[in-house]
Amino acid sequence: MGEQTHNSASLNAGIDLSQFFQVFFEEAGENLEQMEQMLLAIDVEAAGDEELNAIFRCAHSVKGGAATFGFTDVAELTHQMETLLDKLRRHELAPTAAMVDVLLESGDALKAQLARHQGNGAEPIETAELLDAIRALVEGPAAAPPRAAPAPAAAAPTAPTAPATPAARPGTRARVLTVGPLQDPQQAEALFELFREIPDLGSIDAVDGGQAADGLRRFRIITATPDAELLDLCTFHVAREHLRLEDAGAGYGFFPGSPGAPAPAAADPGYGFFDDAPGAPAAAAAAASPVPAPAAATPAPVAATRTAAPKAEKAAANPESSTLRVSVEKVDQLINLVGELVITQAMLAQNGKGVDSALYQQLSAGLADLERNTRDLQEAVMSIRMIPMSMVFNRFPRMLRDLAGKLGKKVELVTQGEATELDKGLVEKITDPLTHLVRNSCDHGIELPAERAAKGKPETGTVTLVASHQGGSIVIEVRDDGRGLNRAKLIAKARERGIDAPDSMSDQEAFALIFAPGFSTAEAVTDVSGRGVGMDVVKRNITALGGTVEIDSAEGYGMTVRVRLPLTLAIMDGMSVGVGEECYILPLSSVVESFQVREGMVKTIGGSGRVVEVRDEFMPVIDIERVFDVPRFDFERVSNIMVVVEAEGGRVALLVDELLGQQQVVVKNLEANYRKVDDVSGATILGDGRVALILDIGALVRRSRH
Amino acid sequence: MHSILAVDDSASMRQMVSFTLKNAGFNVVEAVDGQDAYEKANSRDFNLVLTDQNMPRMDGISLTRRLRENPKFKSTPILILTTESSDQMKQAGRAAGATGWLVKPFDPTKLIEVIGKVIR
Repeated sequence: MGEQTHNSASLNAGIDLSQFFQVFFEEAGENLEQMEQMLLAIDVEAAGDEELNAIFRCAHSVKGGAATFGFTDVAELTHQMETLLDKLRRHELAPTAAMVDVLLESGDALKAQLARHQGNGAEPIETAELLDAIRALVEGPAAAPPRAAPAPAAAAPTAPTAPATPAARPGTRARVLTVGPLQDPQQAEALFELFREIPDLGSIDAVDGGQAADGLRRFRIITATPDAELLDLCTFHVAREHLRLEDAGAGYGFFPGSPGAPAPAAADPGYGFFDDAPGAPAAAAAAASPVPAPAAATPAPVAATRTAAPKAEKAAANPESSTLRVSVEKVDQLINLVGELVITQAMLAQNGKGVDSALYQQLSAGLADLERNTRDLQEAVMSIRMIPMSMVFNRFPRMLRDLAGKLGKKVELVTQGEATELDKGLVEKITDPLTHLVRNSCDHGIELPAERAAKGKPETGTVTLVASHQGGSIVIEVRDDGRGLNRAKLIAKARERGIDAPDSMSDQEAFALIFAPGFSTAEAVTDVSGRGVGMDVVKRNITALGGTVEIDSAEGYGMTVRVRLPLTLAIMDGMSVGVGEECYILPLSSVVESFQVREGMVKTIGGSGRVVEVRDEFMPVIDIERVFDVPRFDFERVSNIMVVVEAEGGRVALLVDELLGQQQVVVKNLEANYRKVDDVSGATILGDGRVALILDIGALVRRSRH
Repeated sequence: MHSILAVDDSASMRQMVSFTLKNAGFNVVEAVDGQDAYEKANSRDFNLVLTDQNMPRMDGISLTRRLRENPKFKSTPILILTTESSDQMKQAGRAAGATGWLVKPFDPTKLIEVIGKVIR
């Protein structure tokens, strides 16, 4: 991270505004994200007031913050967007697809500007074209011709005088520019040109419609450029003697007579008190300040005609609850500490077992409380890190829209289960693989509209994203109704690449070939063209997270990629089982049942394979002792407990010596501390300080299939 | 010590306002929108309400109107923070019973200055 583009100049009244930047950046980011979602969802033909208001509010909110914290370029662009959105929500303009496009593009530019202010070292963002495009839309088709009026000296050569750094600049403030009286009021319009041509000058707005009764035109300017310079620039269009620049920092006022309003001395323009409003200081009414006066003078008409629309805005539902922002590090530290606490609690519980509970009744009760509280605490802390899948899904509508546009395809995105929660760390890591899958679906799965029509499918293809909880995992599916995979071609392709692919493969195994490293079908058969690009990376990333990927497909009808991930990486409920002197942990979510083996239950098939019959269902038996070569010193004992576990759609029975109990375990990554071990997903520290391996049930199930 | 209810749906603005006010020696309670503010205002007393105009759920003008309905807030100064200082806004503010307005963006010095005029 480089330095923020801001510098110490943001000191203001002894308060360093830069301390609020981070919050502003995050908040602006969220607002832009939300705005993008809404813009993508909007139906141009029938945009509701509520939607338009909500979109307006996003731009409005970003503008307010940007102006306050001195990010002039951001304020300028959002200001224009807001102007357009304001007209939309007031139904002065009807939304068009072109508007949505420009607003989306502006959103991108804003994100880039914000990233720059956060110090990504990028070049200044060029927004002149966008600003023009928005202005053109604001003026509407009708307004275009009369626009020819701009001033004689519309000359842009003044531009170079403006400082070229659009970084947020110190000294950003609001000014009121009074122009006139002019022979030709149109002359003042040229001032808009000025602000359009000079990047970074700031924003200009006509105050009160720009047409005051006194023939003077008032503009509100937000700028960081010094007054003298600003006036010099304006004189290109309007004679100096007709210009008056005032401190709009006035920017406040009281309504005379309103509750609490001060005595009239405060004639500072830019704020005001309302007369006879409750709390307004008694005498106030007399010397009404310049601003409130016209307010009172131009009564109802303006207000009456327009207030109806803005009223609606309070209806827009965005139930933001109070939230607290903390850094992820703090949360992680908390989780680590809780993890340690869980281990300590487990140790105490273990040691406490040896204590005579009759003699130490209170101690036992205390230990029981400790266990319960630890568990609650742990759950509460873990939930802090859980965020909804919508955080990932939200990025896709935009991506698909752009991609489909580029490819000349029609694609619709459907998402389900956005509220499903997942650990933040996982969300971050799953985003890239999912992006790849969605992109692949659109790029290689969905056919061109004509091709689809020829096949009798609807021209618009559908990509569906589904997230759901299943046991201790989250399952994310990426489905498309495109061309699907061709088994024979996949197998042929694999052999060509020297990948072992027997004809006896199941469909699932054949489809899984596209995950094989080197299985790039880039210039291959049309049906699967490009499907394999980077899929091995996708698979590797998901496996690294403790997840699995499966593919289902029907040629001509589409395909489904199913990603299964653990909910969280840090802590899980485990069942501990003993084999010989060793203790192993099974994820409780995968345990189905357990029973004692009786004679005759286990049958040997095909020489080495053993199966056990459980309620008319045969399942493979896996002897943990053999899998891990557990040394056995007590030959009297044999494994005679079966634990049925389930994973990846298959069940196996694990043969163990004994069931030791259930407990929460803190998962320690084995790969990070040692290396990858087959059939093991991690390790944990037991109450007595020993290390126990956590079994990878998925791997064991796969082992049984071979 | 004077208590101020600061209402804004933008977290950064809220923090900035709140920090500034606390720095100036005021007691500050924050609310995230008009509805939240209205509920908080009913549970305790404030010497001043400082509210943003454009917010979800309930805007500043509606909040002002509702607070004025409550005898407790009959004479409490209420200032509206707004990005537009149009006559229209002022009409609405006056009609709702607001004490005054302050145009955004403002700097901390200005905020304290304006507040100093209504809290004595």
